[in-house]
Amino acid sequence: MTKTYYEFFCPVKVIAGKAALEHIPYELNGLAAKRPMIITDKGVRAAGLLEPVITACEESGLDIISIYDDVPPDSSTTVVRDIAAIYRKEKCDSIIAIGGGSAIDTGKAVNILVSEGGTDIAKYTGAGVLKHPLKPFFVVPTTAGTGSEVTSVAVITDEAKGVKLPFSSSYLLPNAAIIDPRMTLTLPPHITAATAMDAMTHAVESFTCMAKNPLSDAYATAAIKKVSQSLLHVMDNPKDSHGRLELAQASTMAGIAFSNSMVGLVHSLGHATGAICHLPHGLCMSLYLPYVLEYNLETIREPLGELLLYLEGPEVYAATPASRRAEASISALRSLRDALYKRCQLPRTLKETGKVTEDQLDPIAEMALDDGSIMFNPKEVTLTDARAVLQRAWA
Amino acid sequence: MLAKRFQPMASHARRLYVELMFQVMGRALQAISEVDSEVQREARTLPQGFLFEMMVMPNGSKLIVEHIGEGRFHYHGGSAPRPMDVSIRFKHLAHAFLVMSFQEKTAVAFANDRMLVDGDVSYAMRMTRVLNRLESFILPRIIARRAVKEYPENLHLPEKLISAAQIYLKVATHFVQTARA
Ligand SMILES: [Zn+2]
Repeated sequence: MTKTYYEFFCPVKVIAGKAALEHIPYELNGLAAKRPMIITDKGVRAAGLLEPVITACEESGLDIISIYDDVPPDSSTTVVRDIAAIYRKEKCDSIIAIGGGSAIDTGKAVNILVSEGGTDIAKYTGAGVLKHPLKPFFVVPTTAGTGSEVTSVAVITDEAKGVKLPFSSSYLLPNAAIIDPRMTLTLPPHITAATAMDAMTHAVESFTCMAKNPLSDAYATAAIKKVSQSLLHVMDNPKDSHGRLELAQASTMAGIAFSNSMVGLVHSLGHATGAICHLPHGLCMSLYLPYVLEYNLETIREPLGELLLYLEGPEVYAATPASRRAEASISALRSLRDALYKRCQLPRTLKETGKVTEDQLDPIAEMALDDGSIMFNPKEVTLTDARAVLQRAWA
Repeated sequence: MLAKRFQPMASHARRLYVELMFQVMGRALQAISEVDSEVQREARTLPQGFLFEMMVMPNGSKLIVEHIGEGRFHYHGGSAPRPMDVSIRFKHLAHAFLVMSFQEKTAVAFANDRMLVDGDVSYAMRMTRVLNRLESFILPRIIARRAVKEYPENLHLPEKLISAAQIYLKVATHFVQTARA
């Protein structure tokens, strides 16, 4: 599969490593921003993750003007409208989103409203609606998985209409992503595992799906290597900040990869399962990954075989005959899942989740076929195929 | 301007070709929705009055169909009665030509950022499956293989021949009717 044409875009300044948070005041100043608003959730506040950010700003004489810490796990149009009203009332001039996918998506949506005007975020849904740069926007991820700090999309629920509104524009990308190991140090084991497997899936799907390209490939392989080398180490040494930083960087790199090459069937199934059975996204990714790779196997034998180098290292790669490498890559991912199951019971089958019933498999399959990411899966998927993959993932 | 002076015919021909293909596909889409149960099954869940368009940016040719209920499509030609529900927009005539001349599979064109999708993604996915099914019906097998990721297994030759004949017949009828009107 050689790519005859591709696009790659990532204008986000990545500020990563030790004492990264302390760069926020300088970077905001560089964008002439003086009145930042923090958008976050209760969990982040309770974990004590706001203090280091606020302290870092205050020590440089920069006051945080307003803090909204009530973003729900599934952000809604009402929440976005309320935060935009506070932003305007307090005359803020920039946004710092601190949290996981939901806080970051909320920050992106609020930025649309406060930059473009109005109170109805639904007006801006769709692709390419925005035509101008938005207000200065920084993202501080507190999970290492979603990669939302480097993606140009946001999803907000319209509660009244019961639909999810997608927003897509390169202007949604933050000016800077601040990756500081302090922010992920306290992540509980099962979230560490699930979110890291989300990052792993972003990288693996990016490398094996239809829109793969040389630049996204470079980010994807680097991310896979980091997750493979660091995840189990961090599971056993949760306070290791070097390992935490490795996972956080892997997540950002995987995010850059998949936002430029898209994902495939693992995500189609995962999105459907999340919607129907209310299972966390990362858990679904970890669960479906090997089954989908087995389904795609003959279409992706070559790229999947190449990944063995990054999953298992040069010795194993060299010792494995080329014709067996794709299968060996799947085995490597399976043993990583087994190791995670041992450490935090991250489910490997739908049955192990205890939250899915067998009669839900058909609705999941139907819904997965309507998911946008299925378009980029290297192998065509019919309803029968999707059902078969789900059946294999059942137990 | 320079490009215009050098290649007036090539561009003109591509424009005409894409325009013609949109017309054939639009009519075929209406025809296939009257005979093929698979297409009807996919289309049935679309809202009645649902409008779908494929177009070439910025103001090029358009293919507009409406779901008129029970899985049936009505071909509107290039003008619509209402705003679109789902729109697939080719960024350039050259990209539409690549897809319409089956040099680039629809899914590859998506992967190559050749077009934009506006509207509900799940409906867009449904329409893409309908278009794939349509292409495998109306095109000779060898070309259809180039156009879609995988040639459907449940499309056996006799069925295909019969259906394709039915569709061509209907397309022809539509052409005649349009010419008369
Ligand atoms: Zn994901």
